[in-house]
Amino acid sequence: MYLALKEIRHEKLRYSLIVAMIVMITYLIFILSGLATGLANENTQAIDSWHAKSIVLDRDANVNLSQSTITNEQVNGAQLTKSQALIGQSPVVVKQNNRKKESAQFVGLKGAQYIAKDLVISSGRKAQNNHELVADQQFKMDGYRLGNQVKFNSSSTQYTIVGFTKNAKLNVAPVVYGSLKTWQTLRNLPSGNLAGSAIVSKTAKFSGRDKGLKTYSNSYFISKLPGYSAQNTTFGFMIGFLMVISLVIIAVFLYILTIQALPMYAILRAQGIPAARLVRTILSQSLILMACGIVIGAILTAITAKLIPFGAPIFFNVPMLSAMAVGLLLMGIIGAAIPARKIATVDPVQVIGG
Amino acid sequence: MAVIELKNINKYFGSGTSKVHVLSDVNFTAERGQLILVVGPSGSGKSTFLTIAGGLQTPSSGNVIIEDQAVDQFSKKQRDELRLNHVGFVLQAYSLVPYLKVREQLELVTKVKPKGNLDDRELKELLNQLGIDDLVNKYPSQLSGGQTQRVAIARALYANPEIVLADEPTAALDSARVIVVGKLLKELAKTRNKAVVVVTHDARLTEFADMTYEIMDGKLYLKDLAPVDK
Repeated sequence: MYLALKEIRHEKLRYSLIVAMIVMITYLIFILSGLATGLANENTQAIDSWHAKSIVLDRDANVNLSQSTITNEQVNGAQLTKSQALIGQSPVVVKQNNRKKESAQFVGLKGAQYIAKDLVISSGRKAQNNHELVADQQFKMDGYRLGNQVKFNSSSTQYTIVGFTKNAKLNVAPVVYGSLKTWQTLRNLPSGNLAGSAIVSKTAKFSGRDKGLKTYSNSYFISKLPGYSAQNTTFGFMIGFLMVISLVIIAVFLYILTIQALPMYAILRAQGIPAARLVRTILSQSLILMACGIVIGAILTAITAKLIPFGAPIFFNVPMLSAMAVGLLLMGIIGAAIPARKIATVDPVQVIGG
Repeated sequence: MAVIELKNINKYFGSGTSKVHVLSDVNFTAERGQLILVVGPSGSGKSTFLTIAGGLQTPSSGNVIIEDQAVDQFSKKQRDELRLNHVGFVLQAYSLVPYLKVREQLELVTKVKPKGNLDDRELKELLNQLGIDDLVNKYPSQLSGGQTQRVAIARALYANPEIVLADEPTAALDSARVIVVGKLLKELAKTRNKAVVVVTHDARLTEFADMTYEIMDGKLYLKDLAPVDK
């Protein structure tokens, strides 16, 4: 550690450049993982708020909520308890005079079932009839207010926003909660036959008891949300590659610096300084550089988090970022392993001659 | 009493037709209180002799005995410990750590070997003798070649080894400094009872030496050209 610190302090410019690169990589990794988490959350916020363990869909819907329809007979046969709720989902465009149109996900609920009952209202109240809605907070941020009259798509029917709820997004679109009757109207379905899109269950082992229905685990259902897995895989690859790049950078820089200083290490070995001590020096150096880079990168990320506008799909999961920081430190140690091996095997005789 | 003894040392490099016999049946003894010079032309095997004597490399055959211990049987770690505690190397090139000030070069020795080094008074005296007491806060890049060499000598002596092995310690020094270093090495041998072996081209040092050897074609001779082992 003594030699590591002394060298870093003496060669400030050289090591500042290495740290600067680690800072940029760390910052990029943190922001990308923030975006990945934020976008993943916006795909699943509403589902998470339902505390679902399993979801029953039309067997032929290809695990797609929008394509699934469940009949009244099927719902009756499923024998719902207080742990299940029927939902009807449909993508809609919400319009109001003089305000920008919002693409949203309409979710129809039954007032007596658990999702509607447990819905947390941040302002206003719950919907009490077929013409009342509870909208995601995003609408409030975009200028919508309690009591505003809105229309869906090209329909002339007006609905009133009576409440706002937080963290209600599905497939990255804000959710508008209404009644199942309204959902039927939006889908132009003949009344009396189709009940909803899916049955959401808080228990894992719930069965629809109908050969036309299939139960999926919540995690499988989420993984099949349109674009969800592809998006997460893309971010995962980007973060993984950045990790590998950080490893290559630290390995290349330390290797070059070690090769330049090899005669000096050889002399120190000749004087009897143990190889283990010199190896510890290079590992300490790598850890110090990585730690500095990670801390500065984290500070920049925290500043960015403060400055970023509301609504940007970014969420910083501190335990996950901490795990990534540890991962980066490990990359630093692995990156230092090659130059460390070079030091461990340096032959003083080759430098001295003879 | 001999502190270094080389018995029938042979060293070969390469193999087959490119095999080179660098040291041939070398016998050598250095005792405490002696300053011994080993001279010879480039490529004669001086550095090989020095590195074998210091336990940096092992001979192809023969025995190296330092402080009654057969070094040629030692593991790498044991040889590291031997060099750290008993042998001080003064080398020509790259001898100082570029990012450590002179006082930190000495601190590094303390960090690796906390006990048995010179005390503050002895260190001050040593730095004063070498004329580098006002350079303690300078980096190697701020020193002349001669100053760098004197700091390297100070660092080797600071660890207070019984044996000092020096490779061209006066290579970058002017005549006045050669006399200073020559006297210092002699005093080191005499008053501190060390065995000092110097490999050099510098004929100016011979006046300080108790014995001068010459290496020629891998064989070690006394300066009068009589083979040592005969």
